[in-house]
Amino acid sequence: MTLFALIFSIVVGTGSLAWGYAQVGLPQFARWIALFGALWLVTVWQRWRWFAYVGLLFNFLAAALGLWLLNFSPGWMFAGAIGGLMAWDLTDFSYRLRFAAEKERRGFETRHLARISILAIFGFGLASLAMLIKFQFNFDWALLLAIVAAFGIIQLVAWLRKRN
Amino acid sequence: MPRAFFLSIIIFALLLAGLTALRGELLALAIPLLLFLFYGLAFGPDKVQLDVHRRLSAERVSPQTPVLVTVSVTNRGDSLESLALEDVLSPALSIENGSNHHLISLGKNKTFTFEYTLRGPRGGYALDTVRAEASDHLGLLHNSQSIHTFGQLFIFPPVTRLKQIPIRPRRTRVYAGTIPARVGGSGVEFFDVRNYQPGDSPRSINWHVSARHEELYSNEFQQERVADVGIILDGRQRSNIYASGHSLFEHSVIAAAALADSFLAQGNRVGLLVYGQYLQWTWPGYGKLQREKILHSLSHAAPGSSQVFDGLQYLPTRMFPPESQIVLVSPLMEDDYLTLVQLRARGYQVMTVSPDPVAFEESFLPRRSDVQLAARVVRMERELMLKKIQRAGVQLIEWNVAQPFDQATQRAFGQRIQGSRL
Repeated sequence: MTLFALIFSIVVGTGSLAWGYAQVGLPQFARWIALFGALWLVTVWQRWRWFAYVGLLFNFLAAALGLWLLNFSPGWMFAGAIGGLMAWDLTDFSYRLRFAAEKERRGFETRHLARISILAIFGFGLASLAMLIKFQFNFDWALLLAIVAAFGIIQLVAWLRKRN
Repeated sequence: MPRAFFLSIIIFALLLAGLTALRGELLALAIPLLLFLFYGLAFGPDKVQLDVHRRLSAERVSPQTPVLVTVSVTNRGDSLESLALEDVLSPALSIENGSNHHLISLGKNKTFTFEYTLRGPRGGYALDTVRAEASDHLGLLHNSQSIHTFGQLFIFPPVTRLKQIPIRPRRTRVYAGTIPARVGGSGVEFFDVRNYQPGDSPRSINWHVSARHEELYSNEFQQERVADVGIILDGRQRSNIYASGHSLFEHSVIAAAALADSFLAQGNRVGLLVYGQYLQWTWPGYGKLQREKILHSLSHAAPGSSQVFDGLQYLPTRMFPPESQIVLVSPLMEDDYLTLVQLRARGYQVMTVSPDPVAFEESFLPRRSDVQLAARVVRMERELMLKKIQRAGVQLIEWNVAQPFDQATQRAFGQRIQGSRL
């Protein structure tokens, strides 16, 4: 079940990006992305777990480039990025799952897949919503966001240190 | 790299790019990642509080004997959604059945028990750590803990039963045993004739001598006592490693275990010195307890190299009682001859058990004419050295390790008995 979801995520992730790039008349880029997707599938077969990190970076980089420089339709880019995120998570999950007892395996898989599916849908929805609610993104907003982000990171680090 | 950290870097890069370029799309792209990260943080694992108990079906076994390990883990803290357990094992041990790794969900005050079977080569192994790693639902944050429990496994060398090994040290101890003590008294073997003394049994009167001297004479028998035996196991790397990494040391350990068992069974006081990277000394003692101590020591013994103990000249002879029996288990090097002669000169009775390195190394080499020629030359050199050692009064048992050790001892002592009859 997890392997199927992993392959599905890779196909959806890289497929969405490739489709997005092909839609705006960049078939060369689309081919390279599709090739990368195929390579990722090969690494799943070869059990090269580290490649999932490369895959996640690649998907987000391709999505960010598409959104930033080329003004693509955000739907395909978000789907590509979220597909990469799910594939990255499932690669690690399938590795951890190898130690699960046979009778517990199905429960683990069901719970995990349900969680990340909800997160993926919710993340896609929120990102799309953010794109719909357009407002003037000026310097004041940027400053506010920077302060909030810095505060958030400080809080996060403090919380993590406290936990450890 | 921790997964949460990796996600944080991507989020930070997207936020930075979004703020720099004033592009809301990039900030929106960070939203799924932020959601993912915050979900992981929100359900991060709390403190892991586990009680762990381990049971072994046996703590003392022979090499490659299966041992069943049962581990029970009870959660004394909050419920743990994802808990990875690993019973930490030495890399030398191999798992035959089951697994020492488990991924489970463990509720509060619930117990999880798992079993596996392991086996391994000679050695002493501590099974004292269970590693527990609790993580959040997405595996972003981990809380690891090493839980220490009591557990140890001793895999002793196989002990070959030997027939009585005849030794005759100059000095024996006061207790009755099986070693001829060179002192007259009660015993089995005839020792001397002396004047009859009141209280002597009429059976002990030597009538032939008495008839010649017209007074009564009694036979005296040789007392049999226990002796001090020091076993020296040569653990020097240069004398044990042959044929691209194959070691004779395992065979030496088997010989030392068999000899210790045999000498202790005869009631002697036996000590063990492993002479290798450092000196590992088992103080002399008697009986089953001493057998255990020696087997423990042998289970840990490993060959090693040291500049100080490269030759046998630093053998700490003061550890052995004067004029006692010393048994050296060593493949022997050319320069060991002098040390053996010095031991003899100090009054020790020396026996050397020498696993044959030439036959051992030859068995791993291709059967080419040049190899056979070289083996012949080396064998001649070794035979010369062994003859010199024998001439110095050292009792020698040469052992081709392709054969069982008891056969080698039987052959060595059988020849000696035959020789003495002739």
